[in-house]
Amino acid sequence: MKGLVAGALLAFSAGVALAQPAPRNTLVILREIDADNYDPARSTARSAGESLYMMSDTLVSLDWDMKTVRPGLAERWDVSEDGKLYTFHLRRDVTFCDGKPFTARDVVYSIQRWVAPETRSPVRWRAGPLKEIRAKNDHTVEYELNEPYGELLYQLSLFFASIVDQATVERLGANFGVQGFNGTGPYCWASWTPRQELVLQKHPNYRWGPPIYRNPAPQVDRVIWRIVPESQTRLAALQTGQADVTQYIPPIAVSQLRQLPMVKMSTQENYFWDHFMGFKVDKPVVNDPAFRRAVNQAVNRSAIVQAVWFGNATPADAYMNPNTAGYDAEAAKLVPGYDPEAARRTLDAAGWAMGGDGVRAKDGQRASFLVYAINTQEGRRYLEAIQADLRRVGVEMRIQLWDATVGWGKLATQEFDAFIMSYPYVTATDGFSLYFDSRNRPTPNRMNWSDPATDAALQEAKTALDPNVRMAAIARAQRIVSENNVWLPMAREQIWVAASQRTEGVRAHGIYGVALYKGLDIRLTR
Amino acid sequence: MSATALETPAARPARRRDGVWPRLLRDPVAAVALGFVVLAVLAALLAPWLAPSDPYDNNLLAAMKPPGTEGLPLGADGQGRDLVTRLLFGLRVTLLMGLVATLAGGLLGMLLGFLAAFYRRWLDMPIMRVMDVMLSFPAILVGLAIAAIAGPGIPAVVVAMSIATVPLMARITRGSALVVMQLDYVVAARAVGCTDAQVILRHLAPNCLSPIFVFATLRFGQVILLGSALSFLGLGAQPPTAELGAMASEGRNFLFFAPHIAVLPCLLIFLLVLAFNLLGDALRDALDPRMRF
Repeated sequence: MKGLVAGALLAFSAGVALAQPAPRNTLVILREIDADNYDPARSTARSAGESLYMMSDTLVSLDWDMKTVRPGLAERWDVSEDGKLYTFHLRRDVTFCDGKPFTARDVVYSIQRWVAPETRSPVRWRAGPLKEIRAKNDHTVEYELNEPYGELLYQLSLFFASIVDQATVERLGANFGVQGFNGTGPYCWASWTPRQELVLQKHPNYRWGPPIYRNPAPQVDRVIWRIVPESQTRLAALQTGQADVTQYIPPIAVSQLRQLPMVKMSTQENYFWDHFMGFKVDKPVVNDPAFRRAVNQAVNRSAIVQAVWFGNATPADAYMNPNTAGYDAEAAKLVPGYDPEAARRTLDAAGWAMGGDGVRAKDGQRASFLVYAINTQEGRRYLEAIQADLRRVGVEMRIQLWDATVGWGKLATQEFDAFIMSYPYVTATDGFSLYFDSRNRPTPNRMNWSDPATDAALQEAKTALDPNVRMAAIARAQRIVSENNVWLPMAREQIWVAASQRTEGVRAHGIYGVALYKGLDIRLTR
Repeated sequence: MSATALETPAARPARRRDGVWPRLLRDPVAAVALGFVVLAVLAALLAPWLAPSDPYDNNLLAAMKPPGTEGLPLGADGQGRDLVTRLLFGLRVTLLMGLVATLAGGLLGMLLGFLAAFYRRWLDMPIMRVMDVMLSFPAILVGLAIAAIAGPGIPAVVVAMSIATVPLMARITRGSALVVMQLDYVVAARAVGCTDAQVILRHLAPNCLSPIFVFATLRFGQVILLGSALSFLGLGAQPPTAELGAMASEGRNFLFFAPHIAVLPCLLIFLLVLAFNLLGDALRDALDPRMRF
């Protein structure tokens, strides 16, 4: 009953907001925010990736299990004995949106553009220790590394490594991905009205979709990526048939949407987008490993995740999702579970004695620390819950929320003792290299975690030739970090995609947080 | 007809002796508004004793329980905290923010207004043009700027609210002071050798107080609204502090699912602002000499 009332209210507000029905054979996708541009070398935004996966292709693709690398523009590849030379054999039937045939030169150009210092891509490290990329012939590319890099294929499946057309990039210059685009993807750039909509047209020749889809060709004529910032309006538009798909669903609405007959919901268990709190390990109070351990013990993750995400996230009892390649179950056991009594004992044993104001102290130092966070709905709510849990064991946590416009700058400073963050990752080595490599200080390694053993383990996890050695190395890194409680792992988001009644074949993928991936297999029945 | 006309003058002398309070309370709307304000202030002052629970202790199992749930007459917020408690403590912070901002901005504005009126030749132009410049900045923008520089928090919001009050108060004060400056007793005070400070404090200020007092009351309501708006935008109270605007902001996302979380603080803000506006209007009427007949 309550759901019906809410549904009716939602429907009402949608009728007011967007009163045009979705056009025939046009897939209308709703999202919260737009991207600054659609150039794979210049944007790291999820919203850019969402459209880039549809407008362009990568050499390899990633299966639904998030572990198996599948063909993409490369139909097969060989890796040399020493792990330093990858040879990609390209498909011969691929063309760009403007009809130009796709060749090895396009791959060489796109990768070189990505890693070139003047492009200033913030994620060029993902391309690995690249020595040289060269076209052996029109359909063979050699990717030569300075040292082995076990992560390479995963990284090449991300949209940063999308193949683009050199002539279009040079013609548009800084306006590439703003005024136009030319890729080999299933849908082609038609028009972009920033902060309103991006319109894509079907790529008529396209039949080289990744083998993870049943149909390698697109089946809708047009795709409109429309920006609707208000969550209630998005949901209402979906229920009334004015839009077809969205992955931007507030957690509180998921269970109700699952009960509505006019909405089809899809999820995917191999979805890696985690929330955590990181401690600056060189700042007073939080530099005490026992203190960090006690914080981990004092926080009731399950209750918080239930209250904040309404059952649509999973409490993170480890640093990595158990479904990731490289997850170590032994390391997970080192992450303390919820036990407020144990937290009190840990603090007592470490010399943090209860003070008169309900806050512990040690050597005149109060058990108080400052958290910085970007002001998001979930972040604010779980911080407040953590704060209440810590208060019960005599720890004061001060919260400072920042608007996103200044927040990223503030998070790059050394002014705070802890911070919260959420992020997508592909593998354990991917996530750990990002955050725990000492070379990544001060960001994204905002914890200032600088440990030679961790660095050595990460290096081996990336460069060892034997997959078993790589696994053992990343497991070692996870154990070191877990033992030291560098983070308070919080929650693993679940991905949910809601689709309208006329939409078929929508299946949540979730690579780098992107639900629809290539957007293939989607059909409209009306 | 003629009987009434004859009776009315007879009633007048009695009323003329009335002070401001009786005249104010004779207006039923003003009496209700004043009663509400007094109640709100008392509730805010006594919040620690009135509140049924700890305002910062959560109970996630009770999160978003609707009003009327056992033990939770007004329901619980997103953290499972009793809304009665949160509203009491929120009221406290909101009223205090309003009071500090009205006092700080008001006093500074008064000072500038008196200076502009008193030293008309030298200070009037510069002060009032600066006030005009300040008036052209929306208070929300000032709040955003301060929060961006100093970090969001209650001090940032109070500063923004004060800054927004200064030019308005300066104008009102200057206007009244200019009138009083022309009066004979001011000229007389100067003639007998009073210092500038004595003239301003003893003769000018007391005779300008009525419009200032009325304006301060009206402004108090507006300042509360502005503070709530800034907190709603996330610039004000940081968790876990209860503040009405921040509480409304938290509840906004659950408007369809748990409307009480946003509606109750909004209702309280609405009533507070309305009460202060009505009170200000009634006070103006009560203090207006032209109404005394």
